[in-house]
Amino acid sequence: MNRPTDPRTVVMNLPRRDALDKVTGRTRYTSDLGAGVLHAAILRSTVASARILRMDFSPALAMKGVRAIAQASDAPGLFGIGIADHPLLNGSRIRFKGEPLAAIAADTLEIARAAAAAVIVETEPLPAVMTMADALSPDAPIIHPDWKSYELLREGGIRGGNVAWEARVSRGDTDAAFARPDIIIIEDCFQVGRQNQLPFEPRCAVASYEDGRYHIHTSTQVPWTVRAVTAKALGVSPSRVRVTVPAVGGGFGLKFDCTIEPIAAVLAQKTGRTVSLVHSREEENLTCLCRENAEVRIRSAVTAEGEIAGREATVLMDCGAYGGEQVFLTTMTAHTLGGNYKLGSVRLNSRAVYTNTPPNGAFRACNGVYNTFFLERHTDNIARAIGMHPLELRRRAVLGDGDIGATGQVFLGDVLRPMLDRMAAFRDRTPDQRDRADGRLYGRATTVGTWFIFVGPSSATVNLNADGSATLVTSGVEIGSGTMVQALPQIVAATLGLSPDEVIVKAADTDAAGRDLGVGGGRATVSIGAASKMAAERVRDQILNIAAEMLQAQPEDLILTKGRVEIADRPGTGMAITSAIARAEALHGPVSGNGNFTAPGVAALPGCAAGHFIEAIDIPVFAVHDCEVAVDPDTGHVEVLSYKVVQDVGLALNPRAVHSQIQGGVVQGLGYALHEKISIGPDGALEQPGFEQYLVPLAGDVVPVEIDLYEGAPSIGPLGTKGAGEVPILNVGATVACAVSRAIGRDVSELPLTPPTVLALIQGRTDRMDHPHIAAEWTENLLGAEVPPRSPAKSRPTH
Amino acid sequence: MPIELTLNGEAITLDIDPRTPLLDVLRDRHGLTGAKAVCREGFCGACTVHIDGQAVPSCLRPIGLLQGCSIVTVEGLAPPGTLNRVQQAFIDHDVVQCGMCFPGMVMTLTDFLDREPTPTRDQIKAALVGNICRCTGYERIIDAVLSLQAEGVA
Amino acid sequence: MMAETGYGEITTPQTLADAVAAMAGGAVPIAGATWLLRAPLRHEVLPERLMSLRGLADLQVLTIGPRQALLGAMLTHDALAGALVGHPDLAGLATAAGASANPGIRRTATLGGNIGTRGFAASDLVPALLAADATVILATGQGLQSLPLAQHLAGRGDAGLIVRVEVARSPRRAAHARLPMRKAGDYPCAIVSVSADLSSGRIKDIRIAVGAVEATARRWTSLEERLTGTTLDPALAEAAARQLTGDFSARDAVDAPGWYRLSVLPVLLRRAFTQLEV
Repeated sequence: MNRPTDPRTVVMNLPRRDALDKVTGRTRYTSDLGAGVLHAAILRSTVASARILRMDFSPALAMKGVRAIAQASDAPGLFGIGIADHPLLNGSRIRFKGEPLAAIAADTLEIARAAAAAVIVETEPLPAVMTMADALSPDAPIIHPDWKSYELLREGGIRGGNVAWEARVSRGDTDAAFARPDIIIIEDCFQVGRQNQLPFEPRCAVASYEDGRYHIHTSTQVPWTVRAVTAKALGVSPSRVRVTVPAVGGGFGLKFDCTIEPIAAVLAQKTGRTVSLVHSREEENLTCLCRENAEVRIRSAVTAEGEIAGREATVLMDCGAYGGEQVFLTTMTAHTLGGNYKLGSVRLNSRAVYTNTPPNGAFRACNGVYNTFFLERHTDNIARAIGMHPLELRRRAVLGDGDIGATGQVFLGDVLRPMLDRMAAFRDRTPDQRDRADGRLYGRATTVGTWFIFVGPSSATVNLNADGSATLVTSGVEIGSGTMVQALPQIVAATLGLSPDEVIVKAADTDAAGRDLGVGGGRATVSIGAASKMAAERVRDQILNIAAEMLQAQPEDLILTKGRVEIADRPGTGMAITSAIARAEALHGPVSGNGNFTAPGVAALPGCAAGHFIEAIDIPVFAVHDCEVAVDPDTGHVEVLSYKVVQDVGLALNPRAVHSQIQGGVVQGLGYALHEKISIGPDGALEQPGFEQYLVPLAGDVVPVEIDLYEGAPSIGPLGTKGAGEVPILNVGATVACAVSRAIGRDVSELPLTPPTVLALIQGRTDRMDHPHIAAEWTENLLGAEVPPRSPAKSRPTH
Repeated sequence: MPIELTLNGEAITLDIDPRTPLLDVLRDRHGLTGAKAVCREGFCGACTVHIDGQAVPSCLRPIGLLQGCSIVTVEGLAPPGTLNRVQQAFIDHDVVQCGMCFPGMVMTLTDFLDREPTPTRDQIKAALVGNICRCTGYERIIDAVLSLQAEGVA
Repeated sequence: MMAETGYGEITTPQTLADAVAAMAGGAVPIAGATWLLRAPLRHEVLPERLMSLRGLADLQVLTIGPRQALLGAMLTHDALAGALVGHPDLAGLATAAGASANPGIRRTATLGGNIGTRGFAASDLVPALLAADATVILATGQGLQSLPLAQHLAGRGDAGLIVRVEVARSPRRAAHARLPMRKAGDYPCAIVSVSADLSSGRIKDIRIAVGAVEATARRWTSLEERLTGTTLDPALAEAAARQLTGDFSARDAVDAPGWYRLSVLPVLLRRAFTQLEV
């Protein structure tokens, strides 16, 4: 049977069931579970690059209250994404300052920390490289001399030396495009720093060892990744690891990776006790798996009419000491920097580069955020060079129905252009805030952005209980986005004719629910939602079949509504759903249904992409942002005067919750654009250990985001939904940068735009940005190509 | 010397290192985990409690300085099973996301509204300079607080 | 969990004499303790022996008299900001007390703690007090001593316990301009605090103090001389300041480079002058 669930029964501003406990302080996060357990502290390296000659744990072991030490030999397996290059605890070669070398469990945290400090570590310094420019120089020390021996977890990667992974796109003949007589060439370099997710709950885990299995209770977005990585690091079967997840105090992608959980597991197994491992804020910040710093050289061949005949770009992404998420993210350059616009031909090279700095990770919309900044600033420069209004250029050049993307995938539906129209109408009906600039420099910009929903495997089980309630069992995690407390119960309730508060949602437990890729990438509502919907539909069909027999009706004529089975159009003639459940239980046993979902796979043009994890995106998501700024010419302070978002959401299941995600995501983007600076010191360590130095937006720094939800674009998500939580941050950096650039009349080529950075631009203290270590000739940046000279790049006519 | 103080209306005596931050006393000794240890340097506000009626971060208050003080945490703010008006407004306006900052937000804004019953938007924002939220982007928090005046209950 | 080793003690002396004796014996005085309790973040060990100043009534004094203001060391920023409202000559101090840090810290951190903390370059109160020409009253083994604030900042009074600050009052106006990176909430990267006698229509007896630019706040005497006798003109003052920023060796730090602090100093002076005009 295939009964479509009526979206009208799903869409509502359902309040959050977790709000009461959260505002009364009763929610118990992983970091709140420290009573009556052993506490663990991590011994970290104090230098960025060294060979470990000797570690002597005896002074630590001699301390009263020390219960166990975990060291490299306890977790021999290497793990990673794409490449297994990362040890859990390093006993041989230190690759960044702050790298975990060992961990100690003790009766109190004070003792554990004192014991960690007492371990004697003898090292021999090795040369270090702190920047990508240094890492790519021909005589650079190789950070992973054994890189060839690492296990490949994904085929197809192009690797070598300090390049952890290279993903390339080549479609069409860019040489021909750049040689055309009717084009202008516009070339730019840009760069961005790192961004710390700064979830309020740091990474933490509480582990125990029960009946020969590891039980890890942790603050994560990816319980199944924690299960797999723990097994790989410890060299045990994944079936011996159970992961459960309570409320998570913020993730934003930081907790999309497994980091400290296996350490707690080792210590639990060794002590036989429950062990709590909670990062201090300083540890958390200094080893944060940040959004990576990145650099680009991009050039385009554009006609006077705004046709982009060719585009070439090389992006360098700093993965830090280990490949991690950046290896995967090389893929996303094709779909972001290579997105938004129709390109006659395109060549892209996205390189994850090792440095002796802390590893980076995933952060809400990941490299899409800076690739969109690069692309939109470049687009503004193109508009200036060809003398076209930047909005007109975008209207002409954006992808429409049937256009092909960088890797040759065919985009369905006109989405970006009507969204631009919606934004234009939005601007027209809202008075501008120019007056509030009050003598400061005023600027305004509208940008476009392309991101995607990270689909992939999810599973769900719905148990229909005898009392008429339903229990939804998934591996989903509530990280604050509301999926587990709003979207999922809404979907299941609508399918079964229940109210959402009659749907119990079980917190993630890898022993109870099937495999899942995790909560992040905007995927939870789509992937877990689709699996949940399928599971609920299978339950519904069983009930309708039973009820049809009882009511002597056809199942197709029955509906589930308000806890009852009714004959359609004849309310009151049916029965309570509990009667049908009782009958079903008597005949067959309790009623349950399973659902699953995975990425359907969209075709790219064969041969266009190399080294990619995803050659074409299953669910594209588009965003159009508009922002007004006032810039203080004396201090460089940027004030955001207004911010507007038109966001492609497919279908908004809970419009109020979607608005909340957009407000929060835009504000995180404002932090990225304006305040959140991370610098790396000469020792390779991040220089922002706490909230004093790392500045996130405060209430006074933000504005109410004006929001227009664009519904109806094609989506394979349940009921036509798309994830709405990740994408709001996507083009904030781009929009603010374009607006500031117009306000001050200077090229903005880097983020964040802190007051000193902006004032330096205004005062002409900043040279035009150039990256000599990214060759102007695109092919020279490829692995296997001749090593490019370190001398400054050939100068090219630029605009 | 034992430290005597009142915690959520109950007289208690502590014989511990007087340098221990109040936050750790609350969380580790009394299981009051509503106050969160987030920055431990007075910038984030997640550990805010009321000391003698004033909202202050508990991470920077050594317990030894609190002899005779009255301390109220988020757990003691309203009688069991009830909510104060700030908490109710947060629920009604669907303000919460991850939730880690909200106990501190509630403590700060409850104190603030007692002293400033009819604040402007800018005044509320100024009152939140020491309360960071990483999820919500703040504006709905402000809307919720302003709604209390609109309803005339402030 | 912050105490790393041992078991500390906090004594609470009830007289100045006892407090001075305890200090001589090695006890570290604490007021709000907001700086001290961040010791672990600075990788410092908390002192074992601390001394609470809550029992000392002398440190709680708050008198705004016609000729003099007496401000006790234990006054919080919040209390100070509330008490100083409506006095033009103390307006700079009021702004400093009311704008620093955040509300929770302002209800905790004290005047004495702000003056006594070494290594904190971005104090708001210190430049405001320098502009107010404040005198620090210290309790010492030899009884009460008074010391100009600048000398105290130079380390002369470290053996004494800060009891209060005295500010002589006169018909003058004061203003305080600070520049954090956000609207508020972070430490300012530069501060200008100004106090001047404007009763004649010309600038007389002006005091300009600069904070956060160098490691320790200090007066900008060359600019004071330059502006003395001129009329109150924010734009001219900014221009004059711009010529004299070379007087400072500005800190390069994580929050801002030195050139930036110097570049905004004249702007802050203009803003302070604009406040004086009101």
